[in-house]
Amino acid sequence: MTGPGLEFTPESAKPFLQEVMERSGQKLTACYQCRRCAAGCTVGDETGFFTPNILIRNVILGDRETALSNPLVWKCVSCYTCGTRCPNDIQTARITETLKKMAKEAHIDPLQPKVAAFHDSFLESGLRWGRVNEMELMGVYECRNILRDARDGNYDAIIDELKGQARLGMAMFKLKRMHTGFMMAKGRKEIKALYKKAKQRRQAPAGMNP
Amino acid sequence: MEIAYYPGCSLKQSSALYDLQSRRIFSELGVALKEIEDWNCCGATSAGKVDDFLAMAMPARNIGIAEAAGYQEIVIPCSACYSRTLVAQQRLADDARLKAEVNTGFAKKMNGGIKVSSILEVLIARIEAGALKPKLRRKFRRLKPVCYYGCMQTRFPYTVPVPDDVENPQGMETVLGALGVKAIDWNHKTFCCGASAAVNDPETSLNLMGRIMTEAIDRGANCFVATCPMCQLNLDAHQDAFCRRIGIEERLPVFFITEVIGAAMGISPESLQVDRHFIDGTTLLKELDGDER
Repeated sequence: MTGPGLEFTPESAKPFLQEVMERSGQKLTACYQCRRCAAGCTVGDETGFFTPNILIRNVILGDRETALSNPLVWKCVSCYTCGTRCPNDIQTARITETLKKMAKEAHIDPLQPKVAAFHDSFLESGLRWGRVNEMELMGVYECRNILRDARDGNYDAIIDELKGQARLGMAMFKLKRMHTGFMMAKGRKEIKALYKKAKQRRQAPAGMNP
Repeated sequence: MEIAYYPGCSLKQSSALYDLQSRRIFSELGVALKEIEDWNCCGATSAGKVDDFLAMAMPARNIGIAEAAGYQEIVIPCSACYSRTLVAQQRLADDARLKAEVNTGFAKKMNGGIKVSSILEVLIARIEAGALKPKLRRKFRRLKPVCYYGCMQTRFPYTVPVPDDVENPQGMETVLGALGVKAIDWNHKTFCCGASAAVNDPETSLNLMGRIMTEAIDRGANCFVATCPMCQLNLDAHQDAFCRRIGIEERLPVFFITEVIGAAMGISPESLQVDRHFIDGTTLLKELDGDER
C-alpha cells in the first residue's frame, strides 16, 4: 500500500531540513529507511504507526506541517531506543525534541498539550528556584491545564484531572512521599544570568555573533 | 573514602528514602557520600525538550562545584540526573566554545575531568574491593527479582562512555549476585515506563507499564529491583491502575537496589523506610529475614 503522493521541491525542503539537522545535531540524510527504529519504538502502538523513519522522511521531504504536528513528536517518551539501534547513529528522539521546540516557536498548538505544559513547567520550576519543588511544579502544571481546559470549555476534564491528582497526592502524603519543605539553590542566579546572555546572543542579527 | 554526591530534586522529595538508603549503604561499604554544595536541578528530560542551552548549562554548574571541591568522582543515583550530567560533560568536552560560554557565568568553572558515576558503578567497585562480603548478615532464598533498568541508566542521546551493555545490562545482576541472589532474565529490563508521561500522558504510560508487569509475572518474578527513582515511583504508585487495566491480580514490590543490599546486611526494612512504598515490600523482605548466613 502506498500513501498519498508527496510534492517535493528541493528549494523549500532544504532550509527546513538544514535547521532540523543543525539544531538536533542529527544527520537525517544518512537515513536509508531500514526501520530498525520503527521496530523498536516504545510508543509504536500509541502513535498510529507514525514511526521515527516516517518522521525523518517527512523532514527530508520538507513537509513542515506534518513534521511539526504529528503523534510521534508528542508521544515520544525520549527513551532513546531508536537512536541506540540506528545503524547510522541518528537519534530520532533528539529530532522529536527539536521539533517540539520548533513547533512552539511557530505557535503551533501541541497535539498533547499536557506534555508541553509539563516540560515547560518543569524547566521553569528548576530555573526559578534552582531546584524543582514537586508540589510547586504540579501546582503550576495543573494551573496551565485548568486554564487551557476552561478556555476550551472542557470542564469535565478539569474535574477528572483534579480528582486523579488529589487521589495520588493523598496516597503520597500518607506514605510520607510528599515533601512539604521548600528547596532553593543560590546558584540559580548564575544560570539565569547566563541564560539571558545566551538568548540575547542568539537573537542578535547575523554577523553580530562573536 | 569520600566521593562527591549529587542527590538531585527527586531524592530530596518523593524519593527521600533513596537518599537515606544510599548514604547508609555506602557508609557500610566504607564510602562517605559528600553532598556537593548548593547544587541545582539538572534540567532532567524536560530541558532537552524545551531549551538545549539549559540542558548543558544546568548540569555543567554542578560538575564545576564538585571539581572545585577537589573530588575525582561524583556519584549520581538518579538515572535522569546521571544521564544529563554525563551527556553535558561529554558534549562540552567536544565543544570548547560552548564550554567557554557556560563557564563565563559560573563562579566555579567546570573543567570536565571528574568521573561521573552511576550508583551501580560505585557499588560494583566496592564489591570488587571486597567491602561487601564482611557486611553480609542475611541470605535470601526466596527472592526472585527482575532487574529493571529503564532508559536513562543505559541509553543516551549522545555518544558517551557507558559502563554496561546497552541492550542487556548486567550491573544490577552483578550486585544481586554478590548478595547470593539470582535475578531472573527477561526482555523488558530496559523498556521504558513512560517516565513523566505518567503525569502528562497516563494512557501511554499505563500501557507501557502494563507490558513490563505482564512479562515480570510471566517469568515468575516476585519483585522488581530498580535504581531509578522515577521508574520506582511509577511502577509502585501506578501499579494498581495498570494491573487493573490488564486484569493482573498479583502485585509486586518495587525495590531500590539499596533496599535489597540493606536487607542482606541485616538492616531492618523500617530503618531503610521501605514502608514508604505503595506496594508493600516489607513483608517480602522480612519473610527472608530469618535465613542466617
